[in-house]
Amino acid sequence: MKPAKFDYYDPRSLEEALTLLDTHQGDGKVLAGGQSLMPLLNMRLARPNVVVDINRIKELNYVRPSDGGIAVGALARQRALQTDKVIAERVPILQEAAYYIAHPQIRSRGTICGSIAHADPAAELPALALALDAEMTLTSAKAARTVGAETFFQSFFTTALEANEILTEVRFPARPKDGAWSVLEISRRHGDFAIAGIVAGLALDPDRQVIRRARLVYFGVGPTPIRVKAAEDALIGQAVAEPAFEAAAQSAKQSIDPSNDIHASEEYRRAVAATLTKRALRAALQKLEKN
Amino acid sequence: MKIEGRFIFPAPSQEVWDLLTDPESLQHCTPGCKQLTEIAADEFEATMEVGIGPIKGTFHGKISMKEKAPPRSYRLIIEGSGAAGFVRGEGALTLQDEAGDQTAVHVSGDGQVGGVMAGVGQRLFEGVAKQLMGQFFQCMRSQLAARRENSSA
Repeated sequence: MKPAKFDYYDPRSLEEALTLLDTHQGDGKVLAGGQSLMPLLNMRLARPNVVVDINRIKELNYVRPSDGGIAVGALARQRALQTDKVIAERVPILQEAAYYIAHPQIRSRGTICGSIAHADPAAELPALALALDAEMTLTSAKAARTVGAETFFQSFFTTALEANEILTEVRFPARPKDGAWSVLEISRRHGDFAIAGIVAGLALDPDRQVIRRARLVYFGVGPTPIRVKAAEDALIGQAVAEPAFEAAAQSAKQSIDPSNDIHASEEYRRAVAATLTKRALRAALQKLEKN
Repeated sequence: MKIEGRFIFPAPSQEVWDLLTDPESLQHCTPGCKQLTEIAADEFEATMEVGIGPIKGTFHGKISMKEKAPPRSYRLIIEGSGAAGFVRGEGALTLQDEAGDQTAVHVSGDGQVGGVMAGVGQRLFEGVAKQLMGQFFQCMRSQLAARRENSSA
């Protein structure tokens, strides 16, 4: 299919892009990698009157160190997750997660910020943003504001972004050195959207017997990525061993509210989330033991 | 696609019944409802604009209430079609008295979606349907509060 008619702009500066969005208040859509937007346009499920292509705004294409963490510009491709040395060194879990994100062709084109702004509830990057306390910079012609991941994701494909704003930067802050992360997902075929997935973080007390911190974020099981605090609480202060992992898995299974679809039933998604909880915690523990 | 829900209203069942079956509150609370015209008893022609992020669609269709047994139960049928495809949903609503002058509305629904959006968005429908249903009843609850304020003023 072909998209419905729209006006196409390819501004050379961020300022120009923001002015365009402001002028076409509510009617403009930002095009970066286009890996989600183009199919929606072609299927005519999205029919914006104006498309603002930001691919020629060179200043938005960067990944750079920022306060011990990293800052990712709106045009950085998902491929950078696998090739960028700063990412590999500072937020290695992003590099590991890239394996699950679609396929090489899509990662070469799709952007990190684009996936976060699109906010597909089964996508990996929004879940990583939530798990790693990422901060988003939302820029409009008038001002820029910073929004934390926990308030950014609001519902299916719905975020704190206003129609006249661009997600210009995502920052993944520095993490404490005593923690380890793991990301896992189950999908029907590699590269498909997850039936269920998890980003898990674990940190132990200095004597390595007791769990000090835990972070459990699930994707594909609700309208946004879902952090399950009850499951984290089932871990914190407990001896680092299978019974605690099992308790967290059971807690997550009960706390999430997944849907049925042709790919999987609600019950199956709960079961997958529970199994992934245990696997991800074991994997994170293994990393801690290697350090 | 099956959806279930239970919503508590802080009012006796007759009051909740009147609210839920009132065309005006139906128009106000049906998500994205732009227009609602009564074409026969308990049958309405509707235009709805539903948007989930970048996906937006306008649907034209019918909303009808059947098998009304006031103030206990009825069936709500919503059907609509547009460029993105069609939706058809049918829900059995039952009102149950709860302690403290409250009423529990139980919804047991079944829905079908077809067309382009069915091919692309199948994995999202149940969640979106739940969300829209939640919005509907949340709105009805605030309608109830508004009505009470008006009548006491």
